[in-house]
Amino acid sequence: MRYVIALLVLTFSAFAQDGATRADWPYYGGTQLAWRYSALDQVNTSNVKKLAPVWAFQTGDYENGLQSTPIVVDGVMYLSSARSQVFALDAVTGRQLWQYKYPAPRGYANTQNRGVAVGAGKVFLGTYDDFVIGLDAKTGRELWKVAVDDARQCGCAITGAPLFVKDKVIVGSTGGDGAFRGYLTALDAKTGRLAWRFYTIPGPGEKGNETWKGDSWKFGGGATWMTGSFDPALNLVYWGVGNAASDLYAGDRYAGEQAAGANLYTASVVALDADTGKVRWYYQEVPKDVWDYDAAYECVLIDREVSGKMRKLIVHINKNGYVFVLDRVTGEFVRTFPMVENHNWTTGATEDGKFLGRVEPVENKPILFCPSAAGGKSWNQIAYSPRTGFIYSPGMEMCAEYQAKQQEAEEGRGFLGGNWSQSLPPKDGPIRSHLDAFDPVTGKKVWSYQYKYVLFASVLATAGDLVFTGDPEGFFFALDARTGKKLWSFQTGAGHRGSSISYSVNGRQYIATPTGWGSIAGRSIMDLWPESETFHAGSTLMVFALPEDSK
Amino acid sequence: MTRLALILLLPGLGCAQDTLARGQEVFNKSCATGYCHGVKGTAGGAPKLASRGFDQAYITQVVRGGIPATGMPAFSQTLNRVDLFAVTSYVGSLNGIAPARLPGADRGPAPRKLPEDAMRGRAFFYEAVRGFDRCSTCHQLDGMGIAVADPIVKIPENAAALRSLPTPHVWTAVAEGESFPVLVVAKGGSQTKVFDLTKPPPVSRSFPGAAVQLKESSNWRHADAIASYQDAELENILAFLRAVVKP
Repeated sequence: MRYVIALLVLTFSAFAQDGATRADWPYYGGTQLAWRYSALDQVNTSNVKKLAPVWAFQTGDYENGLQSTPIVVDGVMYLSSARSQVFALDAVTGRQLWQYKYPAPRGYANTQNRGVAVGAGKVFLGTYDDFVIGLDAKTGRELWKVAVDDARQCGCAITGAPLFVKDKVIVGSTGGDGAFRGYLTALDAKTGRLAWRFYTIPGPGEKGNETWKGDSWKFGGGATWMTGSFDPALNLVYWGVGNAASDLYAGDRYAGEQAAGANLYTASVVALDADTGKVRWYYQEVPKDVWDYDAAYECVLIDREVSGKMRKLIVHINKNGYVFVLDRVTGEFVRTFPMVENHNWTTGATEDGKFLGRVEPVENKPILFCPSAAGGKSWNQIAYSPRTGFIYSPGMEMCAEYQAKQQEAEEGRGFLGGNWSQSLPPKDGPIRSHLDAFDPVTGKKVWSYQYKYVLFASVLATAGDLVFTGDPEGFFFALDARTGKKLWSFQTGAGHRGSSISYSVNGRQYIATPTGWGSIAGRSIMDLWPESETFHAGSTLMVFALPEDSK
Repeated sequence: MTRLALILLLPGLGCAQDTLARGQEVFNKSCATGYCHGVKGTAGGAPKLASRGFDQAYITQVVRGGIPATGMPAFSQTLNRVDLFAVTSYVGSLNGIAPARLPGADRGPAPRKLPEDAMRGRAFFYEAVRGFDRCSTCHQLDGMGIAVADPIVKIPENAAALRSLPTPHVWTAVAEGESFPVLVVAKGGSQTKVFDLTKPPPVSRSFPGAAVQLKESSNWRHADAIASYQDAELENILAFLRAVVKP
C-alpha cells in the first residue's frame, strides 16, 4: 500500500511538479524545490492590512543578527540562531518546547547560522566550527555529532542550512575566499555516518582536474555555502558552487581556455545523483570568474513552457547580476538575463550564454566593477509564485573598485588575490536596491519596488498573491504580487536579514519573520549611510496572523 | 619565495622590519580580506583601523579577545604567539606606534622549529587532500585535529608498529540491530555515548543506556584507518610525533 502511494506521489510530481508549501514549512526553501511559496491564501490582498502580531520569540543571541529560515512541521517550529543554538517552539503560542544549547566556542568570525533541516523525526544542524549534529525532534536530545572538517585548519564554516534528502542530510561549507577546497558532505540521517562526499574541485585523475593549473586545485575555493535543492522525480540534488580562489587573480589557477570550462566546478551549478554524490551534469555560468561572482545561491526548480515545450527548469541567480535559466534534466542552457541595471564587467551575453566584452581586474590599477562582490543580490533568497509565474528577487545597484594581486596560498587563510574598496555608487545614481518581479521564461521585468538602502532579507510569496520581505530599517511589509504595490507594513524594531515563512495550524495562517540586523554585509553598509546606525541589531522571531474574529 | 624566507626567519622575528613584514602578511590574510578591514586597514566591510589613534594595549586586547556581539573574532586561539605579536604590532604601526621586541624572543624557550622530516610528517598528519583518511580526523595534536582518540602519549617504533598498533579501547557495540566498532566515551546510567568508528569520520552517538550492548573487543584495525599513507610518510609522521609529543 505504501509502495502504491509512493508511486502515485512520484507520478504526480513527474507531471505536475509542486513546490508549494501548505500547513508545514518543511524545508529551507519551503519545499525541496525551493520556491519559497505558500499555497495558503487566508491572508490575501484584500485583508492583509489587518495582519497583526500574535507572538514574538527572543533568542537572546544577538551576535550576527537572526538570519535563519524557521522550519515548521506538525505545529512545531524549529529555529536556529547565530551561535548554533536551536529552539523548538509551539508554532501557535511561541512557547519554548526545548532548546539545544550548543557549547558555542569563541574565536570564530562568522558565527551566523541560516537554519536547520528537519526530517525522519530529527533536526539537523551545521555549526560554524564544522560539526553536523542530529537531534531528536521531540526532545532536542543530541543523537549524533560529527566533525566534517577542522575549522581552525580549513578556515571554513557551516553557515548554510543542511538539506534533508531521502535518508540523508547534505551540508555545504564556506571558505571559498580562502585557501580551501570546497565540498558537499552527505551523512546518513539515522547514524551520522558518511554517505558520500563530493569535492567541488576534482582531484588528480578525475575529469575536470585538467582545468586547474599545477597544484592550484588543492586550495582553489569552490565553496558550497548556501543550500541546494532536490528533484525527487529525477533523484538529482542541485547545488550552486562558489568562485575559484584566489578570487581576483587567476594567473596561477587558470589552465587556459578549454571546452569543459575553467577551474571546474567553481562558478557552476552542479547536478548530483542523490544516492552517490556523482556529477550527472554541470553548467559553468562564468568560466574564469575573477570577480568573486560566486554561483553559490539557491536553485529554484520550476516547470514551465519554453517555446511551446514543457521544460523542467532551474532558475539560478549569480552574484554577477544575471539570472540563469537551465534545463534541470540535462544542464542545457536556456536563457540568461540581467536582474540589475549596473553590470559593467560584461557588455552582455550571447544567445547561448557566452559573456562578451569582459573587463577583468588588473594589478596596480583600481577598476570600478558593478555589481560589487556583495552581488547583484546578496544570499537572501528569491521566491517563485506559480499563480503569477513570476520570480521575486531583491537586486542591488552597488559597485566597488577591484585590484588583482598575485598571492601564494596559505591553507585556511584569506586567498583573495587582490582587494576591493568599500562599496561605491554606480555611474547612474546612488547605491540603492529594488525588489523586482520577473517572468523567468521571457526575462521580462513586470514591476519593480524601489528602495533607498539595501534589501537583505529573503522573499516569501503566497497564494494570497502577496510578496513579503523586510528592510534594514525594521519594516516587514507585503506587496501585491501582481503589481508591486505596498499593501501592509509593520515596524519590528530591528532590521531584516533572515527569511520569512508561512504556515498554518488548526486552520489559521501565520506569517513568521526573523528580525535582527547583523551579518558581515549588514555591518558593511554602516559606512554608506550615517543614519544606518539606527538600524538596530536584534534576534527576534515575529509571528503574524489575521485577528481571530476577522478570518 | 618571499614567503618562504619569512617563514624561515619566523622563529626569531629578530628585528622590527621582520615583525612588521610578517604582521602585514598575517593582516592581509586574516584581517584585510575583502569583507573585513581592507588593505592597510583602510576599511572594507569592517571599520577602518589606520590612523585611529588606538594605543597598543587596546589593539592587543581586541585582537586577542575579539569584540563580543560584533564580527570581530578573538584571534588568541587561531594565531600563534609570534603571529599575534606581529599582527598587533602591524596594526600599531598603522596608528603610528613603533613596534616593540616580542617579549621573550631573545630569551627563554625559542619557538619550536621542527626537523625537516618532522615538518613533512606534520603536513601529512593534517593533509587536507586525504579527506577523512588523514590522522587528524581522529587525533588532536598541537591544538589542531579532532579529539576522538585519547591524546597520543606513546610513540610506536616504526611504520609497521604504527600500522599494527594495539587498540584495546576499541570495543564492539550492538545497537539498532547492527554491531559496529566504537570508542566508549561514557557508559552506564541513562545514557551511553560512543564514537562510532564504522567509517571515518567517527561519529559521536548517544543511546539510552539499555539500547546498546558493549563487547570489550573489536575487529577494527588501526592499519585500515591509516591505509592512505605510505611507509615513508608514516616514518615522517612518527618523526613529527617524536618532536611534539611530550612524554
